[in-house]
Amino acid sequence: MTAPPEIRDLARRLLVYEAAVDKTSETVESVTLRVYEKLRQSLGVFAGVACFQSLAFRALTQAKSEAPDLWAARVAEDGSLQGLGEFEPQADMVKDNAGEYPAGEGGIALIARLLNLLFVFLGEALTLSLLRNAWPGATFDDRSSENRRKS
Amino acid sequence: MSTQDKVTINKLPTGVPGLDEIVGGGLPEFSFNIIAGAPGSGKTTLAHQIVFANASPERPALYFTVLGESAIKMLRYQQQYTFFDPAKLSGSIRFINLSQVVLEKDLGAVLEEITKEVEKANPAVVVVDSFRTMVLKPQSDMDLQSFIQRLALFLASWQATTFLIGEYAEEELRDNPIFTVADGLFWLRQTAERNSIVRKLQIVKLRGQDSVPGLHTFRITDAGVQAFSRTFGLTARKRKPPCDRRLSFGVPELDKMLDGGVREGDSVLIAGSSGTGKSVLATQFIAEGIRQGEPGIVAVFEERPEAYTERATSLGLDLETPQKDGKLTILYLRPLDLSVDETMQSILDAVQKIGAKRLVIDSLAGFEMALSPGFRADFRESLYRMIFALTGIGVTILSTVEVDESFTEFPFSTYSISFLCDDILRLRYVSIDGQLRKIMVVIKMRGGNHAKDIREYEITSKGVVILGKRLTDYQGLISGVPMHSNRSDQRNEPSQ
Repeated sequence: MTAPPEIRDLARRLLVYEAAVDKTSETVESVTLRVYEKLRQSLGVFAGVACFQSLAFRALTQAKSEAPDLWAARVAEDGSLQGLGEFEPQADMVKDNAGEYPAGEGGIALIARLLNLLFVFLGEALTLSLLRNAWPGATFDDRSSENRRKS
Repeated sequence: MSTQDKVTINKLPTGVPGLDEIVGGGLPEFSFNIIAGAPGSGKTTLAHQIVFANASPERPALYFTVLGESAIKMLRYQQQYTFFDPAKLSGSIRFINLSQVVLEKDLGAVLEEITKEVEKANPAVVVVDSFRTMVLKPQSDMDLQSFIQRLALFLASWQATTFLIGEYAEEELRDNPIFTVADGLFWLRQTAERNSIVRKLQIVKLRGQDSVPGLHTFRITDAGVQAFSRTFGLTARKRKPPCDRRLSFGVPELDKMLDGGVREGDSVLIAGSSGTGKSVLATQFIAEGIRQGEPGIVAVFEERPEAYTERATSLGLDLETPQKDGKLTILYLRPLDLSVDETMQSILDAVQKIGAKRLVIDSLAGFEMALSPGFRADFRESLYRMIFALTGIGVTILSTVEVDESFTEFPFSTYSISFLCDDILRLRYVSIDGQLRKIMVVIKMRGGNHAKDIREYEITSKGVVILGKRLTDYQGLISGVPMHSNRSDQRNEPSQ
């Protein structure tokens, strides 16, 4: 069982947005790692490192079941993600087609699982508020308006 | 120093219905406060309400969470309250978790972290929840009192109004240096009484402001904390000077017995046993008020408003139209688990909403039964406060009370509340000539020359109708088993 499609879509959009924002930077970090780090910073201040670490651990465990390429990834005690670079395409490798597939399936699964836990615990409004703080320039429609638009 | 030289302390809204009045108009700006109480007493919810009421993008609120409740779970629950506005979370309210600092460092580092965030955000309100967990941490290089003093000084300098939340037991109130530093101390209590939970709030201390002393009932609902001031929010209202205007009962003979009617702003008690017509008289009183352009409230506990209205219709009194016109409100109050103050607040809200001049409480026995057992002990005292507050603003109150009919005694009420009433009208059954008839007498009328007559009355399709002249042929009427003054007449008189 994966995260709901609209949350996977939100995760994909975050990754695309992050890839586009940092297109010109020289960072070698993967897009997934950058999105994850922004969530860690934002949620860490708000809920504490321990809280983020336990949510991230749960999200990674769930994501591993749907994306075996995450096998080497692990969440450290401070909540940081380690072992991701071994499978994840790095930012400079995707600069040319960043809009389309900036991250692998594992990255989408992990971010979607993390977002899903936030939706479960905090609800849509609070989670989107958190995302807006982490990505001030991005636009996040709520899921219902997204669904309305699709229909 | 003249009044104009004195510094003006601005007051912040609490966001809690009823609490502004209790704290003397609002929270003193830049004050350093402690919200104390046992777990589950509502401290965090109260702090959230204050934060949501005051935070703005220009002057945000910082909410520091420490050990204890996880911020995520706290927000998961807090967002269920209607005051929780998610829009304020982008820019107006920031939640910052200090657990890592507390776990890994000392109080000095905590102070440094708070300082850094406050300097960055320039907040209007700062909450530290729960600072007690931080205080319990051993091996701190800064003693607690010093930490609190420096924190208080810093936050006041940054023009922030601060709330520290802490779990404290009652016995800790004495000799605690933290409470000395605080400008305000809000104590929340929760006790179980029989099957009910009773929540009380006390402003133990509030510098520079005239808060309402005592324990105030509060409730936590979907809307958050709601407080009920012991003075019902009427302290600021000027008492209306005594007035000699008389209000008619709509029963001409009774008005005559009352020297022209009930004095406006009086508290009237109608006492009698079941079926003596207390509610009928009360209905006539309220209907007559409406006829004379005086809006009214009827608080009923023993029958539904529809039934009350229908019974009035059977007496030829139209209570339906004034209800539609907003001139009459019939409150059906059978809350069972409510406090007396909450119930009275409902009555007061209704009185103020329609500008009621007459209020009927039918009946006091039903009122008391509607309260949770834990609050019944407060009944008389709260009733006294409400009557005092309402009559003070010119509302005339008529209460009915059922008394056990005794043929050896003549009690005014079983509640020992006659001292609350300016006027007492007693109804009772008497056994006369083989019939159970009804009599009424005005027992007491403060400042009025009322009739001393004992009058017989009947309840007809037009309501209470007083018959003939006073009963002069009988002795011992108030005992319920009178003797005819002339025994030979009594023997010969045919039964009616």
